Amino acid sequence: MYLFCLYRYAYGINSVGLYLKIKHMNILDAFIIVAVAALIHASFQLSVSMLTMLSSHTIGAKRSHARLLGLTNAFTFGVMVMTILVLSTISLIMQLSLNDSANLIAWVATCGLMFGLGISVWIFYYRKEQGTTLWLPRSLARYLSDRTKATKQAGEAFGLGVSSVIAELLFIAAPIMVSALVLVELSPIWQLTGIAFYTLISLLPLFIVSGLIGSGHKISHIQRWREQNKSFLQFIAGSSLVALGFYLYVDQVLTPTVMAAAGSL
Amino acid sequence: MPNTSLIDVVKRGGKRPTEHFDREKLYASVLAACLSVRSPQGMAESAADSVCGTVIAWCANKPEVTSDDLRRVAANHLTVIHPEAAYLYKHHRLVL
Repeated sequence: MYLFCLYRYAYGINSVGLYLKIKHMNILDAFIIVAVAALIHASFQLSVSMLTMLSSHTIGAKRSHARLLGLTNAFTFGVMVMTILVLSTISLIMQLSLNDSANLIAWVATCGLMFGLGISVWIFYYRKEQGTTLWLPRSLARYLSDRTKATKQAGEAFGLGVSSVIAELLFIAAPIMVSALVLVELSPIWQLTGIAFYTLISLLPLFIVSGLIGSGHKISHIQRWREQNKSFLQFIAGSSLVALGFYLYVDQVLTPTVMAAAGSL
Repeated sequence: MPNTSLIDVVKRGGKRPTEHFDREKLYASVLAACLSVRSPQGMAESAADSVCGTVIAWCANKPEVTSDDLRRVAANHLTVIHPEAAYLYKHHRLVL
């Protein structure tokens, strides 16, 4: 009985068998899409690069372990706050501005963005040189690098985390927009749960790197692993964007259009 | 020991003005790289001393060197005595 209720709840079915507020997808589908989008977000590496650099300079400057943990936690918290803010803002804008016809256009635009960004990730997310240098303009990369090296206070690390999310908005825009489009179709409590779910998954690499650094692993091992696997990460991120974009285009654009056309015959 | 303060160092890209060779600056950068990979303080200081000695011997007869040359010679020697630190030392500009 309990499992039956859970099943009905997860699939958004109320006591008389009618679907709840959700228009196009059930809660389970929505959360799977949000999870995939968050994993794509997690595969983007600017925040991890900055956290690695911050930790490396903090340890190299002989600061205490408590200070190291304080800085890495403040940085991660900054990324978390900014991710929540960006996702909430885009969700709110979509909730206020989208009606049924605009919703379809928004899905088409978002799917197009995902295809475009997927191909862009394949082509130029990492630069073709040694190390883990990213697509960022060199002046911005130098600025972020200098700020990271100069960071001594937790407040600065928090700001650095915030700016790392802003600097990578170009690439994380697609997964965030997909998640926002999915979340606005859910009831408010599930929207909040979805935002928390997205944020936690998208921050997984930061939690893992923070944990490794806090437990005494060498920065060089982490950086070497990142460098050795950067092509794989790049391929996975680009492919996932294209695959998710294709799936959502079929599921949210083609299917409703074909069904509507069939219904009008 | 040669008088290293007479050696001019041409900065990366040649945009910033040249400066005199500063052993302490080289020592601090190598020490930081060693400490970053959690080497013990004594081992890090010993590696930094050894690298500085090698670099000074290399540039002793040269009136002018580039900062890239200094970094390359230092990294090559550090690779022999402390590969982990050498990796970070070589790649610190290639993270972002």
